[in-house]
Amino acid sequence: MSGPEDKSEGEQPERLYIITGGRSDASEQAPLDLVSLIVSRSAPQPDMLPEHSAIVRMCQYPLSLAEISAYLALPVSVVKVLLADLLGDGRVEARAPVTPASLPDVELLEAVMHGLQKL
Amino acid sequence: MVRAGSSPGVQRPASARIWLLPPAVMAVFTAFAVPVVSAGARAPVAWCGAVAVALLAAVSAEAVRRGRTNAALRHRCAAQEAEFRRLLANQAAETARLAEVVLPDAVARLQRGEHPEQVLRASCSELEVDSQFQAAHQRVVRTFVDAVVAEEELRDSAQRAFVNIARRVQAIVHQQAQDLREMQHRHGNDAAVFGDLLHVDHGNSLIGRLADSIAVLGGARPGRQWLKNVTLFSVLRGAMSRILDYRRVDLHSVANVAVLGPTVEPLIHALAELLDNATRYSPPHTRVHLTATEVQSGIAVEIEDAGVGLTEEALNRAERVLAQASIGLDLTDLGEAPRLGLAVVGRLVRSNRFQVSLRPSAYGGVRAVLVVPRDVITTAPMPDTYPGAGLVSMPVPASVTVANQEEDEPVIAGRTANGLPQRRRRRNAAPLPRPARAGSAPAPTAVPVTAPETPAPADPPVQPGIWLAAFHSGVSGEAPTDGPVRRNGDGPLDESE
Repeated sequence: MSGPEDKSEGEQPERLYIITGGRSDASEQAPLDLVSLIVSRSAPQPDMLPEHSAIVRMCQYPLSLAEISAYLALPVSVVKVLLADLLGDGRVEARAPVTPASLPDVELLEAVMHGLQKL
Repeated sequence: MVRAGSSPGVQRPASARIWLLPPAVMAVFTAFAVPVVSAGARAPVAWCGAVAVALLAAVSAEAVRRGRTNAALRHRCAAQEAEFRRLLANQAAETARLAEVVLPDAVARLQRGEHPEQVLRASCSELEVDSQFQAAHQRVVRTFVDAVVAEEELRDSAQRAFVNIARRVQAIVHQQAQDLREMQHRHGNDAAVFGDLLHVDHGNSLIGRLADSIAVLGGARPGRQWLKNVTLFSVLRGAMSRILDYRRVDLHSVANVAVLGPTVEPLIHALAELLDNATRYSPPHTRVHLTATEVQSGIAVEIEDAGVGLTEEALNRAERVLAQASIGLDLTDLGEAPRLGLAVVGRLVRSNRFQVSLRPSAYGGVRAVLVVPRDVITTAPMPDTYPGAGLVSMPVPASVTVANQEEDEPVIAGRTANGLPQRRRRRNAAPLPRPARAGSAPAPTAVPVTAPETPAPADPPVQPGIWLAAFHSGVSGEAPTDGPVRRNGDGPLDESE
C-alpha cells in the first residue's frame, strides 16, 4: 500500500482534516486506545459519511481500533475521531480490550521454528 | 465686362462686340459734334474725335483682353480648390479610418498572433492620398504595431514567468502534501502532533490553491493530473480541503457518480474558488450549503451562502468577469480576491465547458451553480465510494478466522458490493489460531454448530500473523503491507451468505 504508484494513483483529493472536520483529538469524547474493540450496533445508513459506513460495515465483528486504522489506511487519530462520532450516535460500541492471548499452541510454534530453520 | 464663372466659349462673341461699343459711341458723338460746331473748329474737333475714338478702342480692347485672362485664372483657381478639397476629405477619411479601423484591427490581429509585417500590409489604404501622407500613416502604424508587439511580448514573458513560478510552488506544495500525509500516518497516535500536522496540511493546501490560481491565470492547466476517475463526493471534499473556512461548508446529498480523471483537478479548483467566495463573503456564523444533483445536461453543483448577497449590478459585474476571463491575464486582477477567484473560475469554465451562473439565493446570499457536462461524468466505481475503500482489502483467504477470546468467532463470509469485508458472527468460540490445513475449503458458514464445545468441522485455514500484522501496522502508523491483503476483485469470493 505504500508503493510509489499508490502515492500518485491511490491518493484522493480530500485531505484528512476534511474527514475529521478539523478535529484531531477525540480523547475527551471517547477514551479509546489502539486495542479497544469496536463492534457496530446498527446497519450502515445511506446518509452516513463513507468512512462511517465503512467502519460500521467492518465492525459487524469486533475489530480493534488499530485494525480499523490499518484497513482504512487512515491514521489512528482520524479513526478515533470517526469512532467518537459513531459512539456518540450509538451506532457502534466500544468494548474493553481483551487480555492478551495466552501462548499459542505448541504446534504453531513448532511450525514457525521449522519454517525459520529452513530459511 | 465678362461675368466670372460664365463659359468662355459663349462669352467670346458678346465680349467681342462689347469692346466696340465705347469707340462706336465716341464716334457717333464726334459725328454729331462736327456739324454742330463752327466751321473754324470743325477740323480740330474731327481730329480730336478721331484720336479719342482710336484711344478708346485701344483701351477697350485691352480691358476686354485682361478680363478674359482674369476669368481663366479664376477658373483655374476654382478647379484647384476643388481638387484640394477632395484631397483633404480623403486625408480626413484616412485619418478616421486609421483611428477607427486600422489600429484596432492591428491590435486584434497581433493578439491573434499574426506577424507584424502582415498586419502592416493589411493596413494599406485604398483611397487616393498624398504619398507623403501615406508614408506618414505607415510610420504611425508601424510605430503602433511595434509598441503593441513589445507589449504583448512583455505580457507573454510575464505570464510565462508567473506560470513558471507557480509550477515550482505547486511542485513544492505537492511534495509537502505527500510528506505531511506520511507524517500524519507516522504520528497518527499522538493527538497533539497530529492536530498540528492537520493545521500545517491545511495551510499547505491554501498555498497550493493560490499557486494553481496563478498558473490558471497564466494560461496553464491547474496543478496536478489525476489518472483515475474520482468520485464526485471526493471531488467536493477535495474542493473543501482547499478553502480556509471548510468547517462552515455543509456537504449535502451528492449524486453517486465519478468524474473523469482529466477533469478532476479543474473541477476541484473551480469549486474551491466558488466555495472560497461563498465563505469569504458571508457572515462567519452562517453555513454554506454544497449539493450536487443530476440534471439533464450533467451534474449541477450548487453552492449557496447566506451572506449579504450581491446587488444586481455586482452580479452583472461578476458575470462579466467570468465572461471576460479568457481574454488574458490582467495583472490588476491579481489584487482583488473576488475578481481573482472569478477570473480563475471563468478560465476553467471556458476551457472545460462547464457552465456557471451566479444568482440571488433564497437565503439572501448568492447561489452559484456549476454544471459539469455529462460526457466527463461516469458511473462511480463501487469500491471507491470512500477514500480508504481502494486501499481496504481483505486477508488473503476469503474466509479467515481472526482469533480472539471473545465468544464470537468471525467468519468473513464475503464482500459487500463496495469491497468491504462482510463478516458473520458465529456462535461459540473457536480455539486459538491453529495451523493451516492444506486444501481445506472455505468454511461452510451456513452449517449450524450445535455442540458448543466442538468447533465447526471445516474450520478455515488461518494465516498466522494477519491479525498481528494489522495491529502492528496500525500501531506504527503505516499502511498495511500488500502481504496479507489483496486488492478488490482478487481471490475467490465466498458467497455463502
